[in-house]
Amino acid sequence: MNKYFLLALIVLTNITYAMDNNHDSHNHEGHHDNHQHKSDSGVDGSLVPLDEKMYTSFISNINEGQIAIIDVNGMVCDFCARGIEKTFYKDKMVKKIKVSLESGKVLIAYSNDKKVSFEEIANIFLNNGQTAVGFTLRKL
Amino acid sequence: MGIFNKITIFLIIVLISDTAISRPISWPGGSTFMYKSNSMISSYFYHYSPSYKYSLGAEYITDRYHNDQYISLRSTYLIGRSNTKSSQGNMYLTGGISTKSNDEYFYGIHGDWETRRWFTSFSHLDKNTTNNDYTENEFQVGFAPYLGDYGELHAWMMLKTKKDTIDNNWESYPFKIL
Repeated sequence: MNKYFLLALIVLTNITYAMDNNHDSHNHEGHHDNHQHKSDSGVDGSLVPLDEKMYTSFISNINEGQIAIIDVNGMVCDFCARGIEKTFYKDKMVKKIKVSLESGKVLIAYSNDKKVSFEEIANIFLNNGQTAVGFTLRKL
Repeated sequence: MGIFNKITIFLIIVLISDTAISRPISWPGGSTFMYKSNSMISSYFYHYSPSYKYSLGAEYITDRYHNDQYISLRSTYLIGRSNTKSSQGNMYLTGGISTKSNDEYFYGIHGDWETRRWFTSFSHLDKNTTNNDYTENEFQVGFAPYLGDYGELHAWMMLKTKKDTIDNNWESYPFKIL
């Protein structure tokens, strides 16, 4: 009985890995061409007011671009948030990132060429283990 | 709180602590190294997380109680997670098997819940060895004396209590209060 439990655990992890891979094998481009989600244009999810000092400091050395301000749930430790930077910086359109545990917000500076999508951002947070619950986009 | 005070608190906690605090699953593509020591075993544990849902690793164990040393291959799977604005709760399944013998393995469940200030966790493991089979229960509570932001030095004061069916006594770390 005990060995079956262990076997089930191993099988579960393999199934999960396979599900992750299958999800990556197709894309969602074009699925939403005919309508626009409210989230794509900017969900007003500022559950905690943005610290304007933090924002001003963040954009101080950025001449142009788009600033995504994301409210994130589950971002309660430094270790948890490490993967956020590493994952987002894989996108060459990302210029700068600021993670604030205190306010539960992540600021991401994108180049103007990037089509910033809350759905894409939310998926990245989900795959890192957190939940994006709010999104605002400001253009410089 | 200044950096000097944070370093002082951190060093005090390290000196009186006998466990390294870490995560059973890291961020996707991340690795973790842990050292653990208690009255029965000490171990060096490395794991890699292909995704946020599971990790695979190997643990080198020195079992002082049974006078044995071996490597255990381990897997941890995230059953469920709850994220709120100020907290995160997790539940995991875990299991491992010794490279020495198929009759030496363990499996169990553990969970944790934390905010930026508080940490709590529990663990229930069934361990099967060639010498005897036993169960191990652990509870842990932690407190952050100061709140560090991202990229700053963080420190936790942790109290852990453990009981296994071999000794059948509660042992607490770092202080004996039970």
